[in-house]
Amino acid sequence: MILGSNGAGKSTIIKSILGLVKPSRGSILFEGEHELTALAPHQIHKLGISWVPEGRQLWGTLTVYDNLRMGGFIEADDAKISQRIGEMLERFPRLAERRDQVAGSLSGGEQQMVALARALVSGPKLILMDEPSLGLAPIVIRDVFELVKEINASGISILMVEQNVRQALKVAKWAYLLEVGRVVENGPSDEIANNESVREIFLGGRH
Amino acid sequence: MDLFLQQLINGVIIGSTYAVVAIGFALVFTVLRVINFAHPEIFMTGMFAGLLAGSHISDNFFVVLIFGAIGAGAVGLTLERFVLRPLRGRDVLMTLIGTLGVAIMLQNGMAKFMSPDPVAYPKSLQVSLLLSDDIILTSTQAVNFIVSILLLAGVSFYVRKTRYGRATRAIAERPDVAAAFGVDVNRVSQVTVALASVMAGIAAVSVGILYGSAWAFVGLFYGLKAFICMLVAGNRYFEGVILVAMMLGVIEALVTGYVSSNFRDVAAFTILICVLYFRPNGLFGSYDT
Ligand SMILES: Nc1ncnc2c1ncn2[C@@H]1O[C@H](COP(=O)(O)OP(=O)(O)OP(=O)(O)O)[C@@H](O)[C@H]1O
Ligand SMILES: [Mg+2]
Repeated sequence: MILGSNGAGKSTIIKSILGLVKPSRGSILFEGEHELTALAPHQIHKLGISWVPEGRQLWGTLTVYDNLRMGGFIEADDAKISQRIGEMLERFPRLAERRDQVAGSLSGGEQQMVALARALVSGPKLILMDEPSLGLAPIVIRDVFELVKEINASGISILMVEQNVRQALKVAKWAYLLEVGRVVENGPSDEIANNESVREIFLGGRH
Repeated sequence: MDLFLQQLINGVIIGSTYAVVAIGFALVFTVLRVINFAHPEIFMTGMFAGLLAGSHISDNFFVVLIFGAIGAGAVGLTLERFVLRPLRGRDVLMTLIGTLGVAIMLQNGMAKFMSPDPVAYPKSLQVSLLLSDDIILTSTQAVNFIVSILLLAGVSFYVRKTRYGRATRAIAERPDVAAAFGVDVNRVSQVTVALASVMAGIAAVSVGILYGSAWAFVGLFYGLKAFICMLVAGNRYFEGVILVAMMLGVIEALVTGYVSSNFRDVAAFTILICVLYFRPNGLFGSYDT
């Protein structure tokens, strides 16, 4: 996971990996062989990189079902997509009830479920999650972290940005601390959790 | 009463063509974020392509329509490749000038090579249909209407039920997210411009048949009205654009019938100004840009 204060450049890192912003220098390697900075966003997605954007960014005018279909856009085989979406709707029963509603009309928690499901439909290898708990009630946040763990356990890598540092550090294996665009600390999550400055800034001091 | 009915019919028919041109504007605008000022001239090119096919190849109705589609589609694709794509992401003024330049070229080029005056369409399809003693629905009007309605139904199906059509709406609402989920924005832009152009070309041929002529400056007339329809309805819901286009056609026809054709355009602009004053995003809302 990546932690850092507002404006540290966390979302910018994610957008750079996705190809939505072009870094002025440096390179981004995926699986040690794909140079992402040379690719367009749709090509990067095809390598197996998916996204849960900050603030969800669903297509509010599309139905829940169509949001999920767009999540699987690269799969041209309709039957395969229907099957994958079927699995998602089983996993998220709340969404099954709302499948024909426009996504803009859902509650924040439901929208976050759609955002997670949308990221999963294409069967990615890596999901970039930008503050998946943003604006959610504590009980829903717990569900989201449960899901993140589950997704990760199913073999999908996750790079997560979170303001809910305490909970995120429990889920994550490795953490990076970002300050104005630079990685200033990185290490196993439990070490970072005990780091002096991290405790001070993000975990509300010692206790 | 018969005047009313007659003008209602006339209005709905012309409105259906406004709708096709307006949807073309809206499609291209929502996907490429460009007001394609050349769109009305693509319509005009289609009209002449149909005319040329009709007088030199065959006056079969479908052949003429297909050539209208091909002519307009070819111009649309060329425009996309050589003007819109290189200017993507640049200042809006650049695409504005670019498309306007192409519009002027097409218009004056056609006036020079064909004629600045209306050129007669092959007359073989023109028969009048009498609904009653007083109300006339010509077969060419019916053809124009049916062609437009089929095009509108087709594009509605496209954006709601097909993979690329959904991508069109996804780009319209959130271009970045669409790209990050595998949509090749260049490719969809190309398909969108082609689709808008082909629709315009087909509708233009049916208008050419309706009025019995093609005219190098016809784009001004339909383009302006279609543009008004898109602004009044907002670009968010195509059904809204279609509804407004039909209503504008009817209002214009009624004004022409009961007041004077001189006031027709005054009515259209008055509606535009009133709606934009109270609802700047149009009656049915627009995508954020
Ligand atoms: N490496 C960088 N070089 C130049 N500008 C940067 C860099 N990283 C971030 N910025 C700029 O800093 C601003 C904030 O960046 P970003 O949105 O990535 O922050 P964030 O860490 O996600 O903040 P938040 O916690 O508020 O979401 C943006 O305007 C971005 O363009
Ligand atoms: Mg951010």
